Amino acid sequence: MITTIGIDIGSGAVKTVLFRQDGDKVEWLAKRVERIRQRSPMELARWTYDEVLEEVKLRPEDIQYTATTGEGENVTFATGHFYSMTTHARGGVYLCPEAKAVVDVGALNGRAIFIDERGKVLASKMTSQCASGSGQFLENIARYLGVAIEEIGPLSQTSKDPEKPSSICAVLAETDVINMVSRGIATPDILKGIHLSMASRLAKLLKVTGIKTGTVLLTGGLALDTGLLAALQEELVNEKITGIQAVSHPDSICAGAIGAALWGAFRHEKLRQLEQRAAA
Amino acid sequence: MAEMVKDIVGRCEALFEDLHFDAVKQWKAAVPGRKAIGYMPVYVPREIVHAAGMLPVGIFGGGDQMEVIQGDAYYQSYICRIPRSTLELGLTGRLDCLDGMLFPSICDVIRNLSGMWQILFKDKYVRYVDVPQNYLDSVGGEFYIHEMQVLRDDLGKLAGKPVTDDALRASIAVYNENRRAVQDLYAYRAQKPWQAPTSEVYLVIRAGMVLPPEEHTKLVRDYIAAAELENRPKRDNARVVLTGSFCEQPPLGLIKSIEMSGCYVVDDDFGLVMRWLLDEVPATGDPLLELSKAFLHRSNQQASKYDEKKEDKGKLLVHSVKFYGAEGVIFAAPSFCDPALLERPMLQDVLAKQKIPYTAFKYAENTGQMAPIREQAGTFADSIKLWSAA
Repeated sequence: MITTIGIDIGSGAVKTVLFRQDGDKVEWLAKRVERIRQRSPMELARWTYDEVLEEVKLRPEDIQYTATTGEGENVTFATGHFYSMTTHARGGVYLCPEAKAVVDVGALNGRAIFIDERGKVLASKMTSQCASGSGQFLENIARYLGVAIEEIGPLSQTSKDPEKPSSICAVLAETDVINMVSRGIATPDILKGIHLSMASRLAKLLKVTGIKTGTVLLTGGLALDTGLLAALQEELVNEKITGIQAVSHPDSICAGAIGAALWGAFRHEKLRQLEQRAAA
Repeated sequence: MAEMVKDIVGRCEALFEDLHFDAVKQWKAAVPGRKAIGYMPVYVPREIVHAAGMLPVGIFGGGDQMEVIQGDAYYQSYICRIPRSTLELGLTGRLDCLDGMLFPSICDVIRNLSGMWQILFKDKYVRYVDVPQNYLDSVGGEFYIHEMQVLRDDLGKLAGKPVTDDALRASIAVYNENRRAVQDLYAYRAQKPWQAPTSEVYLVIRAGMVLPPEEHTKLVRDYIAAAELENRPKRDNARVVLTGSFCEQPPLGLIKSIEMSGCYVVDDDFGLVMRWLLDEVPATGDPLLELSKAFLHRSNQQASKYDEKKEDKGKLLVHSVKFYGAEGVIFAAPSFCDPALLERPMLQDVLAKQKIPYTAFKYAENTGQMAPIREQAGTFADSIKLWSAA
């Protein structure tokens, strides 16, 4: 039996999960998702770690592997660190076993990851440094429009005549949005236009990875944005990738942390086997 | 009281960042008449400079803290950065404390730089230090002894007294000690890379470019002792050998990024001058003959050195992987570095045959954007940890 913790430090939130694995039986025992809100991500990592341990009444010495991902390289109490792409791939397969690809949309980047059934990355493509494919950009726009984050998706889906920003550059797009507001464009149409703009970039990333059919799971901080999910499905059709079904999962935001915990268990077992082989 | 790691590393970092070479100026000022001789990577027989009573000073470019303005006027845009930044150091007077410069045989660019130096700094001693491409004692050895003898005579004239055999033997002994200490440091890091991270080891090595070897040997020993006392957590990282950085050095941030991404660097080719000769040079007998034999038969293998036999290509790299228990190789070479980049496919071929995983990227000494490197090194580390057969 292996008990592991995965900690995903993102730009907007810290996600921590605790898993127990016994052979093929995998149990997800605890989770914490904490928005950073100008607090120290490192302190939040420690706090959420303590919280998940407390929830299942375990002590740090009961944990065989604590794996970090995202910006968690400097977490001092971690056993090891996995890169975000690796963990989102594994977390994606856990949440949606039929997934052929994962689209991770976080606060700063968007990334399409083509995977196999084990969660091994076969190909990937990430947005460039431009922020307009990111959650932070959407959050900024929502703030300008006076819309709460949880309202973005439902509002976007009521749009009748979406207005796309003319540029993919976040700075220019923000200026565009200000102009749209002054022109009297309805908020749902602005939000849907932005969703379509972001989704168009994500669809292009997916196309580059080579996936043509199957299920694509949305993960990361924007995974539960129903407006973005609907826009992605539309843009996949526009990109003539008609065999793909984009889906989300209620725990998509934890995909990175889940992947880290599961890879931690995998790695723990591998190290144990290596030690046994070396001893023999 | 024993020095702490942070004190030692702090001192090394200050020496590393000082592009005005105050440590050299202080060494010269301590005894009037002292002279300092600069040298570029990869290898020069520093024993001869030391035996002449001079301080050998490693000039490894301007790093990422110096803006190159004048240096750019001398080279095309498709040339690496180290000759430009070295020229910038010279043209801005930062190397005025040096009484001469040695340009070892690395590539055409550095050979041309030696010519530029002769034209630009007429009052300084300048020499292009050639090395043999034939490893017979009677051919390459004779040639190399002659090269070293010219250097010895020149430095003797500059010092105002000949460089004696006894002085050379004593210097060989000093550098043997230094080499042993550096080898011990590398062995210690390979054994406990979490205790001696490469970002620190690199600074300790770079300190040896401006300190007298006797002082550097003590510094290295002090660092090993201090690192052992630290309580640093061991991480589940991938053990990698980093190769291709023998001339223009990567920025410190790049080394830190590689480590942060989940790699323990267990061998590298930074500051290779200190480990160029692989073992002790006998401090008895004919000193130049012994230095020559060490170069011909017991020296490092890397792109700027001619490989006599095709089957020997990559032999030392594979040995390093096995000896230090590495799980993969990162090829990190400067952009436009002909020797490293032309050698790379041949070495990759050797590694592929040995089923040793590798990844490759390029950098410049002033590379500032680390995210792509972190991504590449991070995914490489993950692939080793999760998917390698070992």
